[in-house]
Amino acid sequence: MTNDQLLEISTEIGLSLLENGAEIYRVEESISRILSAYGVVNADVFAVPTCIITTIVLKDGQTHTRMKRIMNRSTNLDIVSAMNNLSRELCKLKPEYDEAKKLVNQAKNRKRFSLPIQILGCVFIGSFFTIFFGGNFYDALVSLLCCVVLKFLLVVMDKFKTNMFFSYTVGSMAIAAIAFLFHYLGFSQNMDKVIIGSLMNLVPGVALTNSMRDIIAGDLVAGLTKFVEAIMIAVAIAVGTGVCVYLLKMFV
Amino acid sequence: MNTIIIFIATFLGCVGFSIMFNLRGKINLLASFGGVIGYAVFLLFSFTQNDIMQYFLATIAIEIYAEILARVFKQPVTIFLIVALLPLVPGGGIYYTMEYCINGNIGMFIEEGLHTFFIAGSLVGGIIVVSSVVRLIDRVKHHIHTTVKV
Repeated sequence: MTNDQLLEISTEIGLSLLENGAEIYRVEESISRILSAYGVVNADVFAVPTCIITTIVLKDGQTHTRMKRIMNRSTNLDIVSAMNNLSRELCKLKPEYDEAKKLVNQAKNRKRFSLPIQILGCVFIGSFFTIFFGGNFYDALVSLLCCVVLKFLLVVMDKFKTNMFFSYTVGSMAIAAIAFLFHYLGFSQNMDKVIIGSLMNLVPGVALTNSMRDIIAGDLVAGLTKFVEAIMIAVAIAVGTGVCVYLLKMFV
Repeated sequence: MNTIIIFIATFLGCVGFSIMFNLRGKINLLASFGGVIGYAVFLLFSFTQNDIMQYFLATIAIEIYAEILARVFKQPVTIFLIVALLPLVPGGGIYYTMEYCINGNIGMFIEEGLHTFFIAGSLVGGIIVVSSVVRLIDRVKHHIHTTVKV
């Protein structure tokens, strides 16, 4: 494998890890492990949530750099796990470029759950957390409807690349509106439980957890970025539900 | 009976999260079971009468569970950690804080807001404690390993 090809493969794996919600230290470590497995002695990797820079220094003093910009991030732990295993495998077997490229593409294009199953997951989260927080059976049913609408909105807005915070605000507005409507009609007793349960779909748990793990590992820049993201998501949710409930209460 | 229903609801809710994050098969169920463990520990320590403490201890239990499973199944720790921690994230706190805010109840708004913030802080504290200890153990093991070899 030439040095450029090596850079391409390793950065591609790092990119895929970062895009799908791995911690920064895992990204940096995976890249530098692969590089050192292929015999590069002097390598530096720098990753933040929006960019990866990899530089290798050859024995004759020549340097090669590759930078990758990350535009959209989501959480797909299946790919994180696959890429993690792949990077171990590459370190052990050290395949040639074509073989490695094939493995990377295979891991990158792993099957996602189909849309109906994703909606089912979304409904599971909403309904069962409504019960978890103390709602009854009817509350769970309303929450089911909220989640289907929420998922639909999120999918549509994702297609048009809407800003994440805005789509969260709109989503939580929709949840609040539906919950309020059914509460007003007398179908469900606990409006707050329905809203809280459905909001669990949007709550910033991933951002909070990952930001803390990054800060512990010493990646302060990345950790702070994700922490701010978590706070922004919380504010977006609160604004969405707050405005909606306030307006509806005024009119009804 | 009621508690059992809530445990089942926790498990199935976590399965929903696992589906959202594209986890499949065995890993999906194991990660979801972490949520049940977390909530069980949360209930177990309800005699402390201090929910910040309960959240902290539950997080520690989940973190230990995740670290063990990650080593057994050779997967990244985050996979198990993220899913299992989500039931503890204070979604209710965010909602009630907002509700007090729009009702103009400033006293309760500040109280609930700080409480939510402390819950998030205790989750963070739990994660920090365990993963720092695990890192330390790994370093010590590595150190012993290398010195013995030489």
